[in-house]
Amino acid sequence: MAITFFSSSLLPPLRLRSPNPNPNPKPKTLAPIRASLSDPFVLSIAEKLEDSLPSSPPPSLQSLRSLSSQSLLSKPWPSRKDEPFRFTDTSFLKSSQILPVSSPNPPSDPGFDSHSPNLLVVADGHPVPSLSRLSSLPSGVVAGYLSSLPPGPVLDRVLAVTASEFRDGDLFWDLNGLGTPDVLVVYVPEGVRVVEEPLHLVFCSTEGEEVGSGRLPVSNPRVLLVVEKRAELTILEEHLGIGDCEGKCYWANSAMEILIGEGGMVKHSYVQRQSLNAAHIKWTSARQEAASTYELVEVSTGGRLSRHNIHIQQLGPETVTEMSAFHIAQSNQTQDLHSKLVLDYPRGFSRQLHKCIVSDSSGHAIFDGNIKVNRYAQQTDAGQLTRTLLLAPRATANLKPNLQIIADDVKCSHGAAISDLEEDQLFYLQTRGIDLQTAREALVFAFGKEVITRIPYVPLQESVTSRFKELLAAK
Amino acid sequence: MALAFSSPAPRFAVSPSIPHTSPSNSFLITVPTPHRLRRCLRRGVKAAVAVDSPSAEGGGLPVESPNVLLEVNDLRAVIKDTDKEILKGVNLTINEGEIHTIMGRNGSGKSTFAKVLVGHPDYEVTKGDIVFKGENLLEMDPEERSHAGLFMSFQSPVEIPGVSNMDFLRMAYNARKKTEISPIEFFHFLLPKLEAVKMDPRFLDRNVNEGFSGGEKKRNEILQLAVLEADLAILDEIDSGLDVDALQDVAKALLGLMTPKNSILMITHYPTLLDLINKPGFVHIMQDGVIKRTGDRSLAKLVEKGGYAEISNA
Repeated sequence: MAITFFSSSLLPPLRLRSPNPNPNPKPKTLAPIRASLSDPFVLSIAEKLEDSLPSSPPPSLQSLRSLSSQSLLSKPWPSRKDEPFRFTDTSFLKSSQILPVSSPNPPSDPGFDSHSPNLLVVADGHPVPSLSRLSSLPSGVVAGYLSSLPPGPVLDRVLAVTASEFRDGDLFWDLNGLGTPDVLVVYVPEGVRVVEEPLHLVFCSTEGEEVGSGRLPVSNPRVLLVVEKRAELTILEEHLGIGDCEGKCYWANSAMEILIGEGGMVKHSYVQRQSLNAAHIKWTSARQEAASTYELVEVSTGGRLSRHNIHIQQLGPETVTEMSAFHIAQSNQTQDLHSKLVLDYPRGFSRQLHKCIVSDSSGHAIFDGNIKVNRYAQQTDAGQLTRTLLLAPRATANLKPNLQIIADDVKCSHGAAISDLEEDQLFYLQTRGIDLQTAREALVFAFGKEVITRIPYVPLQESVTSRFKELLAAK
Repeated sequence: MALAFSSPAPRFAVSPSIPHTSPSNSFLITVPTPHRLRRCLRRGVKAAVAVDSPSAEGGGLPVESPNVLLEVNDLRAVIKDTDKEILKGVNLTINEGEIHTIMGRNGSGKSTFAKVLVGHPDYEVTKGDIVFKGENLLEMDPEERSHAGLFMSFQSPVEIPGVSNMDFLRMAYNARKKTEISPIEFFHFLLPKLEAVKMDPRFLDRNVNEGFSGGEKKRNEILQLAVLEADLAILDEIDSGLDVDALQDVAKALLGLMTPKNSILMITHYPTLLDLINKPGFVHIMQDGVIKRTGDRSLAKLVEKGGYAEISNA
């Protein structure tokens, strides 16, 4: 038996799709035709974004801007009829008056702390040098803005990486490319390690509008990580609203591109704790060369609408990919994870764990996890598990774990479970004198802890844990 | 036949108003009566037990008027989902310092009885009452029963992924003692108890029962009993799945926990644990949801030799 899979009974049947030799070819002329039908709403956002930026961009950003605006013209605002947005309601954005954030407004009081000596603070997409510190990075490591990179091999390399077009990006990816004031570049040269003292990237929104004002300031921070052969980078990425932004409306439309060279390793912790009235749309696109490792741990608790799109493309054999995510959807919150892992080379190993707690009737969890095992990805070992706790009546979860397997010698498993807390576990705790409320909290805490403890940097793990405890206590 | 063991006569003598239609078919009979009558009635019943248990050890009957720990009267319970009646009028009295054992065929209601005592949500009590240390147990939530001093070791202890054994034990301790003990202080409190059940301290860092062997799970139950210092320990097949050495450890640990005040109610299929504990006690045979017969440890031997058929025919 060439294909092995394990499937829980709660699942829709595993999808096995046969290779399609001609997958819906698009005529070259499509873009111009569609362009003439461009969505006026999209065009108006694009125009406002362009107007907000200096009219002549730095040369290094020119290609990104023109590629993004080209691509954007063929993309209408997503509707529920589009499969990637079937369950995700973006009407909150659509009904708002979207405005680019005004000029850089660097915060004086950071309102967050970092234990790492390497800290880069980005406010509304703009760098904040006064709050950043990078002096203890190993020599050769570059962390700075694309427009200010001096000419040389690093800039050439970075430009070469950015030149390759990412075809799977959606409208929000393009809006980010068009609207980002600059690209934050982190370059780790061959064999260099940034691990024990990780690089902490803090993305904060400083401009927010009152709930009900109908206005939505949008920022478009963008990051590029290039980790060369056998280099290692541990990165902590945090998104939050600070100062006046707490509880306000804003939209962070963030994107990160990662290239991991042969034998390289990136450990990526991603913490999203935006205002509960904010929209947070985030792209993470990673490309992995042979024998590289990418480990992503996500904890998302903020945002009224939070969506994370992950796209991971294998560029060589024997890659290791691990994705863990923990989401909390409380009252009026949507937590959405759309991930896609494309395996084209042999002996890839991947594990994905998605966990979500929906604690209110108006909360909504969405997971679409696609793993594509193409023809040459033989001896792939791919596992995927999604578990959702629905803690309130009428709470909603839409889960779509899906494997597309073309190779015939692979080991793939997936599982999905949606449930309330286990009655027998609750009863066991009760018989030991622990009251129902405390027992429920302990089990909910344990549910999230499984993912949180995967954050490799202990101080961040501890701060995420204590915030999770506060959330539980607040309910 | 069950009725052969019932003695309806005293019931009418004490409380003639109770309808005739619900004969208690248990030997150890205590009938629903007002509280002030209960004590004298119970003594009468104990006397009857002594007659059935002629051996010298006499089941450890206290000479002085004993302090009643648990009193179960005509307890009937059904499975909530199906309304199937499992307990059909159980009567049992346990005094301080006593060891009681319930034996019986699979499906006779032993485990259900244990679960009903600790308030398992799958069962509904339809009749009868349970008084524990003078309080009505049926009005208490499971955690309140635990606080009152009742403990049940699970036949299959539940795995709780993500909750460390240390946190779990500390949570239970804090809830029982209404305190907030520091982890270090608690560890010092735990150490001798770990030794008593011969458990590796490394088990504290592991998730509750997750990946534990059968024996480790049972030791962990005894550890919880030791931490909670319960007055009545209900041990539901604590001896199942244990090898000889582990069984001896469990017996030793139990003996170490015994005081003149606390009591044990064991549910078992084998008299081995009773022999290891080697203390006088009562043995009850449960059959079809009632306690059919009560005696001393010799009754367990009788079961071991001749099976339950022997007992019901006796």
